[in-house]
Amino acid sequence: MQRSFLAQNPSVLWFIACLAIFTAVVTVLSEAMGVGLISTSFVKTLGKTLCLCLIAIAMDVVWGYCGILSLGHFAFFGIGGYAIGMWLMYARTEKIVLESLSGQPIPPTTAEISDAIGNQIFGVVGSSEFPVIWAFADSLFLQLLMVVLVPGLLALVFGWLAFRSRVTGVYLSILTQAMTLALALYLFQNNSGLRGNNGLSGLQNIPGFAHLSQATVSLAFFTASAFALGAGHVFFAWVLSGKMGSVVEGIRDNEARVRFLGYHVESYKLFIFTTTAVVSGIAGALYYPQAGIINPGEIAPIASIYLAVWVAIGGRGRLYGAVIGAAAVSLVSSWFTGGGAPDINFGFYVIQWTDWWLVLLGFSFVAVTLFFPKGIGGLFDLLVRKQS
Amino acid sequence: MSMLLEVSGVSVTFDGFRAINNLSINFAPAELRAIIGPNGAGKTTFMDIVTGKTKPDEGRVIWGDKNISLLGLSESEIVMEGIGRKFQKPTVFEAQTVRQNLAMAVRAPRGPFAVLMHKKARRNAARIEAVAEQIGLSDSLTRIAGQLSHGQKQWLEIGMLLAQEPRLMLVDEPAAGMTPEEREKTTEILKEAAKTCAVVVVEHDMEFVRRLNCKVTVLHEGAVIAEGSLDHVTANQTVIDVYLGRSHA
Amino acid sequence: MFRLFSLALALWLSAPAVAFSQTLQDILQTHQEEVLKPGRRSVGVVLADLMASGLPQALPFLEAWRDREIVQRDSDGLFFRVLAEGDIVTLADLDTGTELQAPDNELTESRPNGGVRRAIGEVLVQFQLSDPDIGKRQAAVDAIARSMDASQLAPLEASIDGEPDPVLKLAKSRLANMLAALFSDTADARIIAIAALSGDLSVDTRAVLNRLLSTTDAVAETLSADVNLARILKVGVDFTPAEGYGRLVTAELAPPLVSNDDIRAALVANVADAQVVDVPVHALGTDAARWLAYDMLVAGGLASPRVKPQEQIDAVAAHVFYAAYTEPEKRVTDAARSALNAIETKVAISQAADLGLDALSLASIYFLAAIGLAITFGVMGVINMAHGEFIMMGAYTGFVVQQFVPDYTLSILIALPLAFVITFGAGVAMERLVIRYLYHRPLETLLATFGVSIALQQLAKNIFGTQARPLTSPGWLDGAWVLNDVIAISYIRIAIFVLALIFLALILFVLKRTRLGLEVRAVTQNPGMAASMGINPDRINMLTFGFGSGIAGIAGVAIGLYAKVTSEMGADYIVQSFMTVVVGGVGNVWGTLAGASLIGFLQKGIEWLNPSNTLAAQTYMILFIILFIQFRPKGIVALKGRAAAD
Repeated sequence: MQRSFLAQNPSVLWFIACLAIFTAVVTVLSEAMGVGLISTSFVKTLGKTLCLCLIAIAMDVVWGYCGILSLGHFAFFGIGGYAIGMWLMYARTEKIVLESLSGQPIPPTTAEISDAIGNQIFGVVGSSEFPVIWAFADSLFLQLLMVVLVPGLLALVFGWLAFRSRVTGVYLSILTQAMTLALALYLFQNNSGLRGNNGLSGLQNIPGFAHLSQATVSLAFFTASAFALGAGHVFFAWVLSGKMGSVVEGIRDNEARVRFLGYHVESYKLFIFTTTAVVSGIAGALYYPQAGIINPGEIAPIASIYLAVWVAIGGRGRLYGAVIGAAAVSLVSSWFTGGGAPDINFGFYVIQWTDWWLVLLGFSFVAVTLFFPKGIGGLFDLLVRKQS
Repeated sequence: MSMLLEVSGVSVTFDGFRAINNLSINFAPAELRAIIGPNGAGKTTFMDIVTGKTKPDEGRVIWGDKNISLLGLSESEIVMEGIGRKFQKPTVFEAQTVRQNLAMAVRAPRGPFAVLMHKKARRNAARIEAVAEQIGLSDSLTRIAGQLSHGQKQWLEIGMLLAQEPRLMLVDEPAAGMTPEEREKTTEILKEAAKTCAVVVVEHDMEFVRRLNCKVTVLHEGAVIAEGSLDHVTANQTVIDVYLGRSHA
Repeated sequence: MFRLFSLALALWLSAPAVAFSQTLQDILQTHQEEVLKPGRRSVGVVLADLMASGLPQALPFLEAWRDREIVQRDSDGLFFRVLAEGDIVTLADLDTGTELQAPDNELTESRPNGGVRRAIGEVLVQFQLSDPDIGKRQAAVDAIARSMDASQLAPLEASIDGEPDPVLKLAKSRLANMLAALFSDTADARIIAIAALSGDLSVDTRAVLNRLLSTTDAVAETLSADVNLARILKVGVDFTPAEGYGRLVTAELAPPLVSNDDIRAALVANVADAQVVDVPVHALGTDAARWLAYDMLVAGGLASPRVKPQEQIDAVAAHVFYAAYTEPEKRVTDAARSALNAIETKVAISQAADLGLDALSLASIYFLAAIGLAITFGVMGVINMAHGEFIMMGAYTGFVVQQFVPDYTLSILIALPLAFVITFGAGVAMERLVIRYLYHRPLETLLATFGVSIALQQLAKNIFGTQARPLTSPGWLDGAWVLNDVIAISYIRIAIFVLALIFLALILFVLKRTRLGLEVRAVTQNPGMAASMGINPDRINMLTFGFGSGIAGIAGVAIGLYAKVTSEMGADYIVQSFMTVVVGGVGNVWGTLAGASLIGFLQKGIEWLNPSNTLAAQTYMILFIILFIQFRPKGIVALKGRAAAD
């Protein structure tokens, strides 16, 4: 079956091939391999971009294929990041604490160790107690489970509530935005148990791998992100092939008709919403160790809107379009905001792109929705049509 | 004879407007029935109630041998009970091929996981071919539904109903906007379908109803005012007053 | 001391009846010794004479004396006030104020001690309380209210009868009641004063009563009869067993606990050869092992014994914990309690009313922010994510106008219509250039308008900078309408409420009573039919969108008046505005009103329940709204029937 699936979807094969070549090239040229044509910080940027591409695929599935314009998927991304961040921070702090306590005349008790770790982590919000949600922070396995379970459960409960009451279209978008805002506001509180607006930091140091250089760690995460992106692409391409794809696209085009074919539309939406939320969580768990820090600002509703924009620019309803959109916009964005773009001097006024980039981006959303509703991916259609 | 569907004493009100007024109507298994009535007679609302789209204020809707009430079921559950519906406007999935359209409709488990793990069974493929044959779209299975003509879309939608293997088909104005040849063909499809299941056709076009040659129910202001053969109901003075009289004027 | 004042008072009161023809210096000369070296007792005579003289220059003299600025000239014994220090001191005559100079070494300073200065101060207060200038009297009363000192009771009471100003007289007697409640000599006098205070909602009255009712937590083996008991404290309810034991330790009724840190310190101190009394050090990584080793230290007399958990519980159980009033007189505390209860009931009612008014003004802000959105979203089915930025544009319009028109009243009057015009224009431009191409793709409208939103936000940032800009309200909007000590509502909020009402009326009028409104409703319900009847839907859509945006601009001016104007202010309101529209029900002005009221009152309610944490309040409110949508997906005011199904 798998063979026939890939044979039926040549674009998946093409995508995997391109991704593999790209990964190989970056690996060979990276500092970790000694060539150093690509700096470690750029490897990190590329790795982060791959994670953004993964969540863009999830967004494309939920919006481009299923028609749910979710403005909450970055919340799931952030939750994934927080889940892995809790372990990273706990394990690293534990190591530091154990080292500092090892010089003591008598060995420390578990309570003393836990107190010291708590002090290190939560001192910044004036606390030293471990909140309940940190109960599993000492176990990598359980926290990895959280990466998947927490976004999944949240999406399940929220989606069940929303879909059950037949909230659709714009209402649903606003509702997902409200959910994201509520989560962000909650995390901004100091007593949320996740260090308020300080967020979790120092995530780039992977406990147990301190002997490896950042170059190696970055490359490892880059490769892992590439693998996750490839796997995510294949997974969703598989899910959306065949009858499931027909039903999901049917829901997007005419929800009522699908319902009158006997499909329980809500279950399908819930399935897609939850699955994409889980994938978003995984993408977040890969992204934040590369970013090094996560704070509630990352979850703010605006991030999810950007996500929708990437997908729109890349082209909805095609998985590679989402990847192109996310990669193009986030890389171009960091080029402009990073001061890479040259200023334009009019004599009376100098356009500095760090200030004007958002204006340009804003108007390009408008242009894309008005003039290129199919996004960059639409260009491929034109090429294909010309060839045939 | 036991009834397939019994609708009794159903009323529904929208913002003070009584769309359905103490309506009672029954259907036998494998029956072809036409429902006619002027605009606003409650034909579409009646279908909405049977298919679960609208909940009535009062009354009962009893289905099948086990006498299940349809009022407690969701739309998709009602479909799975064996009631199929074709909408007034042809609503096929225009972005997908005819085969995909029919494949979605073929009677098979409807849960997300069953669908995800769905394999193309020989039985289903055969069923799709058979339905396509019946609606005359065998040559168009790989075409995108959006490219079909208006009549073909209507047939595809009827085909999607047939593929569900329903026990009751509710068909809303199947012949609207069709050429005479297409109407002929539509009549054939519906008559063929009525051999295995009950077919209820809502129609404005008297000529089409006459061609169906079946029992006719006349609705007016949300209630049945006459029932019987077309000749019988057209002779009814009330029907002439409220409906035919007006339409001839 | 009180007697001293009675004396002074009696003399002072009789002063106008007696005519004196003497100078201040004369009086001082009769008491040369007492002025130069005043004692706590001897000063009374001087003060009494000064009071009795009724001389106006006595007051500045007393102030100077208290401030140690009085010197005696050794040569003739006359007293002067020092104006400037130095080798040659500048002096002023006490009666005439004439300046003169004298060498420093020929002067002797009068150095009143603390007690004397206090006595002088008391007399001064009395002078001030009876000063002909009402400003000074008011200042004196305020000073007493700040210090709330027992010594001020008598002069204050004495000055009440002579007070000509009725308002100040009331304030004086209120203050006197407070002081009397706290400091009167007899319990009866205090109870009468307390009774007089009940019914007064002011914060300082409540502070006085609370001060009377202040308690201290204490612990004893048995409750002594002379304690004015507030209540008995219970373990597990008022404090944890561990806290209870801590209190016992503090009261020295129980031996102190040996904490884990103490144990650790004791063990560390007794490490020898990697062992602590035969226990190897590496085995001390658990509490149980440490306790064992420590108990061995105790057995060896090397440490004080641990208090076992059961001993702690027993010790706590064997004592009585209670809260006692610091005020020993039970009748006084009872009276204060009942007075405070009466006041607090009234305060609670007033607070509820105040909260209601607060919520009302918040609701009117939400209404103003959301009504424009409700028009574009509800009537046209168009999502305008840039609505918040139109609010911001309105606010910046107000700010810019104020840069050119310095008169605040005039500038607001100009800014309101100007903001409408500008945002109306922006709305029309956006509708013409963007939205009309997207009418059948609502989700894409959302994205396109979001693009406009971030572009406008960044443009504002580029033009006006990131710091908040003030939009100053006219002077007559400063201050608040004070109903009583608890209920106060600022004029700005009232103005916003009125503005919201005006807009409600205006919008209802436009929609229900004008040709434009009729056409708008026609296009909303059936665009095709409306078009065939000669209504141009394009024009209607354009005007509706412009109208909705224009209202956002006016809302922006109103919001800018009480909040800061920043480029991000629109984003702060957009989600709330959407919530208001969605909760209220789309396509209905009353729905928006209901939604704004619900959200406004809800937010205030949650803030009241959890006042310390506005972030949490917002979180809970959004969660509530998500749940609310479950039960009323179409909002509070829902359209029914077929129209709603589409």
